[in-house]
Amino acid sequence: MIEQLPALVFAVPLTTAICMPVAGHVRKSVCRPLALAAASAMAVLSVASLWAVVSHGSVRYSFSGWAPPIGIEWLADPVAAVMAAGVSVLGVLCLLYGGAVGDRTHDRHPVPYYTMVLLLLAGLSGAVYAGDLFNIFVFLEVVSLSAYALVAVQGGRALVSAFRYLLMGTLGTAFYLLGVGYFYAATGALNIADLAQQVPGLLGSKAVMAGLIFMLVGLAIKMALMPLHGWLPDAYGDGPTAAVPLLAGLVTKVALLIWVRILFWVMAAGESQGTAGIFMLVSSLGMLASVAGACIALRQRNLKRMFAYGGISHIGLVMIGIGQANQTGLTGAVYYLLNDAVMQCALFALAGLAVHRYGVRTLDDAGRAAIRSPWVMGTFVVAALGMVGLPPTGGFFGKLRILLAALEAGNPLAAGAVIVTTLVTLGYFARLLERLVRGGSGEPEPERAKMPWTLRAAMAALAAAMLALGIWNDPILEALTTATGGLAI
Amino acid sequence: MHEFLDAALHRPNLVAFVVLLLWGLYITVTHHNLVKKLIGLYLVQTSVIFFLVTTGAKQGATVPVILEGAAEFTADAYVNPLPQVLTLTAIVVQIATLGVSLGLVSRIYRRFGSLDEDLILDKLE
Repeated sequence: MIEQLPALVFAVPLTTAICMPVAGHVRKSVCRPLALAAASAMAVLSVASLWAVVSHGSVRYSFSGWAPPIGIEWLADPVAAVMAAGVSVLGVLCLLYGGAVGDRTHDRHPVPYYTMVLLLLAGLSGAVYAGDLFNIFVFLEVVSLSAYALVAVQGGRALVSAFRYLLMGTLGTAFYLLGVGYFYAATGALNIADLAQQVPGLLGSKAVMAGLIFMLVGLAIKMALMPLHGWLPDAYGDGPTAAVPLLAGLVTKVALLIWVRILFWVMAAGESQGTAGIFMLVSSLGMLASVAGACIALRQRNLKRMFAYGGISHIGLVMIGIGQANQTGLTGAVYYLLNDAVMQCALFALAGLAVHRYGVRTLDDAGRAAIRSPWVMGTFVVAALGMVGLPPTGGFFGKLRILLAALEAGNPLAAGAVIVTTLVTLGYFARLLERLVRGGSGEPEPERAKMPWTLRAAMAALAAAMLALGIWNDPILEALTTATGGLAI
Repeated sequence: MHEFLDAALHRPNLVAFVVLLLWGLYITVTHHNLVKKLIGLYLVQTSVIFFLVTTGAKQGATVPVILEGAAEFTADAYVNPLPQVLTLTAIVVQIATLGVSLGLVSRIYRRFGSLDEDLILDKLE
């Protein structure tokens, strides 16, 4: 039973998504409970799978019993299991939030909304678990197609943003597939474990290097790494409130996780000669993205765009951690990736709440509104602490690890970039917090409908997750270190 | 330079792949009509699929089905089926993308009454 868990985590949301249009046709009100039930079942299964992986070791699952390299293999190691658990738990929270936030799109089109969200969750869990590069491509495309559709449901401006996202995203997956083709032509293997045996010996080959660069370009578009980030602020700024937290929290992070897999699991990284250039490139791109993203965020007046650029700069921070090519950097980066998923989810959930409940879109609106709800302000303060990187949130411990990795690798420039990013991030969050705290002071909060319990629960859970990741950073980091200890770094 | 040209001329398939890829990218970037942009995108995807097919091609080989009572098995006589399976999957993915993108373009046309990027951007302002 335990070895079947990864497949079940994927199958539950997929089958529910397929049944959803039928169920919605019979009765529209059944969509929300059905989607919530499927996402909750997925969360329970993925947490059980995480527990099984932590206590019994990694699971290799071969579909229909065909062993690789002929069959398709899924790999549930601690990194994949913890990411899948993160995906499904955030999925449940976003569904709770999306149905209650009062988003017009959700109320008008419940069937496509819930179908797409479940397909997105299924695709994300597949991309996390998949053990070969081609299946990762297929799941990336499933994720991307549902993401385009979710952005476009909003209509109006979002249609154009979704079209741009589609153009960039499809080019990204085409480049990724091209990279996979180069790897296959050079090695005759697609399975990550098989490739890991051959690729380190082939690093001098132009085909492998070209394949790696094509994959980097493709995944960089998907994760919105700095020079290729153009689609993200528009898509997340114009997309529907009910869906954006999910996209912002998960889609870019899973692309980044795939890049980590290729770099450390396939290339076997540091031990083999000839990877120094790639790591330099990754580290430099990370420095560019983190500093420039934070500076652009400082200039934004619109809250959603500000958070979007904040997310772009945090992708850069993770890339800096990976680029140092040492154990500290790798564990710090994967840990920060998890934190960043929760933080982005929380920030966009807050931005959506601000629009729908308080009519706050920009910094100036924030100065006028009187937001007194402890659920909103409390979660915002925790998310801001995490984004800036202050204890006791997980953001602090992740950033500290990345900083230590840069110092360990003797790379003062990267360490400097982390510190500058932190200071600029502090700048834009302090400005926003100051407006929110001062905003509408003196006048009582106008009467508003009470916040539904689902919203309060989702907000509290997001804040609790950010704090819990920080408070239990020691065991999590230790588990990640053990999980990545077998890699030759 | 001479070596490079020589190597390229011995691999006409790869030259065709590069030309298709760059042509598609060029169309996607330069044209202002959204449908033409999609045609460029389609060319890029097709070129990648063409590349996958090329890597799996083998001269004088046959379909990888070993008939009963056939003479002894030699791997050289059969093509590798895996690139073709990948190609089929990639084509399905490509069709799905095309469907979604055409749906999106038709929504944009109904909303903005135009397919020209500049006109749509003007209306958005």
